[in-house]
Amino acid sequence: MRKFISISIMGFILLLALGSCEDFLEKNPQGQLTQNTFPVSESDALLVTNAAYASLRNWHYNSGGFPILDIMSDDSHKGSTPNDALPTIGPYDLFTFSTTQDGLDRWWATLYEGIKRTNVVIEKVPSISMNTETRDIYVAEAHFLRALYYFDLVRAWGGVPLVTSTKPAVKLERSSAEEIYSLIEEDLKFAIANLPEKSEQTQAEKGRATKGAAKSLLAKVYLFEHDFVNAEKYALEVINSSEYDLEANFSAANGQVGEFGIESIFEVGASTNEGGGGQYANTQGVRGSPNRGWGFNRPSLSLRNSFEANDPRLDATIIDLGEVLDGILILGDGSTPDEIFDGLGNLIEVECYNQKVWTPGDNTSTQENHNRRIIRYADVLLIAAEALNENNKPTDALIYLNMVRERAREGNVSILLDITETNKEILASLILDERRHELALEGHRYWDLVRTGKASEVLGPLGFVVGKHELLPIPQSEIDISQGTLKQNPNY
Amino acid sequence: MKKTVFVFYFLLTSIFLFAQDQIIVKGKVTDESNIGIPGVSIAIKGTALGTITDLNGDYEINALSNATLVFSSIGFTTQEILVNNRENIDVALLESTELVDEVVVIGYGKVKKSDLTGSVSSVKGEDITKISSLNAEQSLQGMATGVQVTSTSGAPGAVPVIRIRGVGTFNNSSPIFIVDGIILDDISFLSSGDISSMEVLKDASATAMYGSRGANGVIIVSTKQGNTKDKVVINYSGEYGTQFLAKKIDLLNGREFGIITNEINPGTYSNVDALPNTDWQDLVFKPAAFHNHQISFSGSTEMSQFYFGVSYLKQDGIIDKSSYERLSFKINNTYNLFKNLKIGNHLTISPYKQQIAPNVTYSVYRAQPLLPPYYADGSYGVVYNVGNPLANLANSNNFNKGLRAVGNVFAEAEFLEAFTVKSSFGIDGSYNKAENFTPAYTVYNPDGTASQQNNEFNDLYKGNNQNLTWLWENTISYLKDFNKHTIDFVGGYTMQQSNSEYFGISGENLIRDYEDLWYITPASVYDPTINVNTIQSISNGVDQYYSMISYLARVNYTFDNRYIFTATFRRDGSSKFAKEKRYGSFPSFALGWNISNESFMQGIDLINNLKLRASWGKIGNDKVNYLGRFSTTSSGLTIFGIPETANIATTYGKSGNPDLKWETTTQYDIGMEITILNNLSAEFDYYNRKTEDILIELSTPGYLGNGQGQKIAFNAASVLNTGLEAKINWRQRIDEFNYSIGVLFSTVHNEVLSIGGNSGIDSLLQGGYLGDGRSVTQSREGLPIGAFYGYKTDGIFQTQQELDAYPHSSQAGIGDLRFVDVNNDGVIDGNDRTNIGSSIPKFIFGLNIGLDYKAFDFALDISGQSGNDIFNGKEVVRPDPYNFEKHVFDRWTGPNTSNTEPRPSFGGYNFTPSDRFIQDGSFVRLRTLMLGYTLPEQLTTKFHVQKLRIYAKGNNLFTLTKFTGYTPEIGSGDVLSNGIDFGIYPITAIYSFGVNVTF
Repeated sequence: MRKFISISIMGFILLLALGSCEDFLEKNPQGQLTQNTFPVSESDALLVTNAAYASLRNWHYNSGGFPILDIMSDDSHKGSTPNDALPTIGPYDLFTFSTTQDGLDRWWATLYEGIKRTNVVIEKVPSISMNTETRDIYVAEAHFLRALYYFDLVRAWGGVPLVTSTKPAVKLERSSAEEIYSLIEEDLKFAIANLPEKSEQTQAEKGRATKGAAKSLLAKVYLFEHDFVNAEKYALEVINSSEYDLEANFSAANGQVGEFGIESIFEVGASTNEGGGGQYANTQGVRGSPNRGWGFNRPSLSLRNSFEANDPRLDATIIDLGEVLDGILILGDGSTPDEIFDGLGNLIEVECYNQKVWTPGDNTSTQENHNRRIIRYADVLLIAAEALNENNKPTDALIYLNMVRERAREGNVSILLDITETNKEILASLILDERRHELALEGHRYWDLVRTGKASEVLGPLGFVVGKHELLPIPQSEIDISQGTLKQNPNY
Repeated sequence: MKKTVFVFYFLLTSIFLFAQDQIIVKGKVTDESNIGIPGVSIAIKGTALGTITDLNGDYEINALSNATLVFSSIGFTTQEILVNNRENIDVALLESTELVDEVVVIGYGKVKKSDLTGSVSSVKGEDITKISSLNAEQSLQGMATGVQVTSTSGAPGAVPVIRIRGVGTFNNSSPIFIVDGIILDDISFLSSGDISSMEVLKDASATAMYGSRGANGVIIVSTKQGNTKDKVVINYSGEYGTQFLAKKIDLLNGREFGIITNEINPGTYSNVDALPNTDWQDLVFKPAAFHNHQISFSGSTEMSQFYFGVSYLKQDGIIDKSSYERLSFKINNTYNLFKNLKIGNHLTISPYKQQIAPNVTYSVYRAQPLLPPYYADGSYGVVYNVGNPLANLANSNNFNKGLRAVGNVFAEAEFLEAFTVKSSFGIDGSYNKAENFTPAYTVYNPDGTASQQNNEFNDLYKGNNQNLTWLWENTISYLKDFNKHTIDFVGGYTMQQSNSEYFGISGENLIRDYEDLWYITPASVYDPTINVNTIQSISNGVDQYYSMISYLARVNYTFDNRYIFTATFRRDGSSKFAKEKRYGSFPSFALGWNISNESFMQGIDLINNLKLRASWGKIGNDKVNYLGRFSTTSSGLTIFGIPETANIATTYGKSGNPDLKWETTTQYDIGMEITILNNLSAEFDYYNRKTEDILIELSTPGYLGNGQGQKIAFNAASVLNTGLEAKINWRQRIDEFNYSIGVLFSTVHNEVLSIGGNSGIDSLLQGGYLGDGRSVTQSREGLPIGAFYGYKTDGIFQTQQELDAYPHSSQAGIGDLRFVDVNNDGVIDGNDRTNIGSSIPKFIFGLNIGLDYKAFDFALDISGQSGNDIFNGKEVVRPDPYNFEKHVFDRWTGPNTSNTEPRPSFGGYNFTPSDRFIQDGSFVRLRTLMLGYTLPEQLTTKFHVQKLRIYAKGNNLFTLTKFTGYTPEIGSGDVLSNGIDFGIYPITAIYSFGVNVTF
């Protein structure tokens, strides 16, 4: 018995010693990958880098889903039927939007979701044991994308919370716009140093970020910062790289035939057949017959009337009723009036649609095949022209401006004659007009007007208030959740 | 009054052989009328050794020739007798009118009630079977202070929600159950008849032994053991009863519905008197039977004690296609291997089968009374927007079948007189199979077209889940008296692991409708050419996968029977938390003072017992979604390349919070126990429970990159519960008339102290979603958890002038509700929604009366609560024209016709969630009324029956409440959705009769 007792006591003590083994308390979640188990390999690194791109195909990446930037500009109206999304999207057309306006929170959250995904790559991929060259490219892609997401944030809201880690503090204040711009510049310079040129990519890699895309974006960023010297420098580097050219046909610049083509510098791939369509084009697609989408972003009479006589780009930008595209007759929407008049009987809107998002087909599924172009070569040429003019090199500026016009005239020498103006102010204004016609309905116009200081003159009559509408309001839900830590933009 | 200081261990029957002058003492213990008393505890003074008398009152014990035996039994005065070398000692115990010191089961041990410093409510076995035999948990209602028991449904097999001392957290606020030492979340597998007692551990001193799991209270369930020496006792009890709908909801009949419809849409019905009427409630709710049988065999020998029970329960529901059937085997054995070593086991195995009816209560409530249930040809009639509940029931085949096995094996050794080591290994395993088959069927419109109630192809869902928890507990205890000091120590080490997995598959278009073919195999596809996938979905994953390691200790020190000090400590480590946050320590301290044992109290006969006690401690809650600490991945696509190709994109979804840690409740309790004139006993407690670091999911700033609308788990809320508990009992015996009256009540003050704090995350929690996106509870600082949230109403707009004079929604017109502009901004909008009530009762009470006279016994129990509100959720969601509750007849029909009931409408503005739908949830319920008769022993013994009792009883026969629904008991496991009546399965009233036989 004594023996039994001593054995049981010893057993008990042994048990205590054994039990403190910590392994027993390490239980991994079942059926799930977590921060401890992903990403850990070269193939994981690719998956996690791809995910940083995937936010671009998120519908909300496109200014919260609806093309509010064009709707806020003089180029277009809300679109769709008169009452569709009237309380939610209508106010953007009239500059009566509030801090709780639909879509602001979605856009904000989605841009930051993209930023988090880039931060995951930047933080985790460098420590993965893998081919170092590939690794550097993945990390550089993430830097490029982070700059792209922040560029939208800083243009839309100004100084925003600066997040460069996957584990930021929960409570953050807004950084200054300068701090955001400086991160964007840093990120893009890193990307330029490490990304391949487009010509170095395989066919399968088309759509991934390139050195040219990073330089183009950086040139544009400097334009917004009014640093024309650097804007000129990077735009010319892109032009002189001979990596890009204009599509012979203007409509190919945004159309299906030009996808990942010679003019495309950075675009968002979408393919319904592959299971990854894009709702960007569906939102703006022809409403009614053929049924291509919801018909938002209706080109304005102002845009229509601003084109120079016989500019073929007018027809390539606006789909009118009765038009036949790729063999499909456009009839439009039955519940949308063909013409809308104001109280005085003036025609203010005609039913028409954005042709830039057109893809061949007669259903919504094919419409979702459209690839949104983020930066194309014509944009870079016009950035170069604008920067050179600002840097007092009008003759050089004219070269690039006229390259854009030359392509636009499609061989018809009687239209869109070469511009020879060298007066800085007049030329600047001509370049801005050229941007409007070349890049219409691609989301540039509103920001072009704001950054060139023309917004009050052009948009003032539409409701734009100086000192307020240069920036969007921080979503009210963000301010509420932060319990007031985030401060609202002026005058909202 | 002097009390003994010994702790009795009923289960110990073996004797520690030590000295050579040990003798065997035999004898009989009788009462004053010389009848043997069974179950008398006989202890050897100064040791933990003892035995119990058998059914005839006989006993046998090994004792030292000079030992003192202590004879004690509830209801009798304890006697001490010196053995003095006698081998036969017969004892006649005197019946005592005073309340004898009971033994209370506590965590990892037992303690005399007088030595208890914690707050523990005990419910004995006979009280558990009082409330029909359907559900043991239900029996706690109105029987224990500080305990709120709320039914979630009257469906057979439904488990009620239990809250001990308020609602302590936003997460799972249910207590844990300890059955024979095994830690469980519910006891639905147990037959009430196998339970000998339930102890509700409430304060920190009592619950801290369960550390991280004790914060919501602990209910210790002890099952029956064999204790009759050398004799087998056979017990049979049977009960048969009928359940029925206690109350119908006052809904409109066909004619009334026609009148109201005509007011909403004039001219709909030309002659309302000619309209048909269907009473859907009468068609759907039918009285339903249940029966329960239990037989048990128990006994003990020198070598062993055994209890073996089998029970069978079959309960039909008052709604067709709902039932519950359970077979339960209970086996408890103890074997005395050597003088100081015993081994044993507890085991319950319960196969069950439950059929679950679809929620037709909601459609019965909504169905228009004008519609016929059947067409002339006997086929089901269409019920627009709702579905014909009878067709729905007829085609429902939804089952849960499974098996639960809970048990343990243990070994216990005593050494050096005062020490006991015990090791037990237990498991809780279950296997559940869900099976839901719906045949193809169509309910047609009168014009012969298919209505929305159309299941084109038959479909089948099959799911199973398997759970296995094992628990290994090792304790060492020490019990010793030194003169006036008693030390009772227990220390231990435990390990536990829990694992579960589910698998589900659904398919459609099986080749046959009958049960033999309810399998999803390619062979049962009806016709592949019609392009219907047999397999619709597959799901597979894990619900629980975690492990724990715990260290525990408790010391109970008593000085001179007057001063008691208890300290407990438990340290839990759990895999649920990250390494750095893994361990939590949960201490408690308590003091007790038996004032009545002080010398200055000795002359006071009025007060027989007076004790003060106080406790403080910290306890935890681990019933949280622990996966919140991980960032898990999800995959999508990105398109690259010429030609365009999908590339898999994988990254983290919302971020995990690796800093998650234990929720901690700090509780203090002050209590007093008093017995006056041996008849009146009372126990009072004040408690204060503050839970901090509550783990909740809150909206986070978008810049954290979790995506729009995503919520993250944080330890970011605290909640306070305070209250008073009182239990007062009066017991008296007048010759053959014995009666007792017990009154108990508890108060609850529940308040959210903070959410989010100043941390940059959200500061409120929405809940109580109605199913159409609208939410009717909002928890925020200063309000109770899950406070109702909506517009306040202030009468009805009587005139156009009144409408113009007040801020109103553009939807409001004359005759509509006037919402209060709470923030005074001149606009009625979402910001005017405010706190409009709470589902947490402020006062819970019970009244228990028991009488027995000669062979008759009678019991009456009343329970109730007040101060809580119910949100009549079923009335609010009205996308389509549904039937109305009768109060629509109080409608506004012109200026000053009504200021409470707006003009009728089928939905819209007046059905915006507002205080119009808040009802008083207070109730008083006659829970039990029972009359029993025990046949004379002289008669029954002729048939070898020791005792035969028959009884009749009624449960829930009468409820006093203002609530218009079926029952004011509206529970939900989700604390943010509590008290919202979505049309629950009605709680039934029950008539039953039964018999108890002891052989």
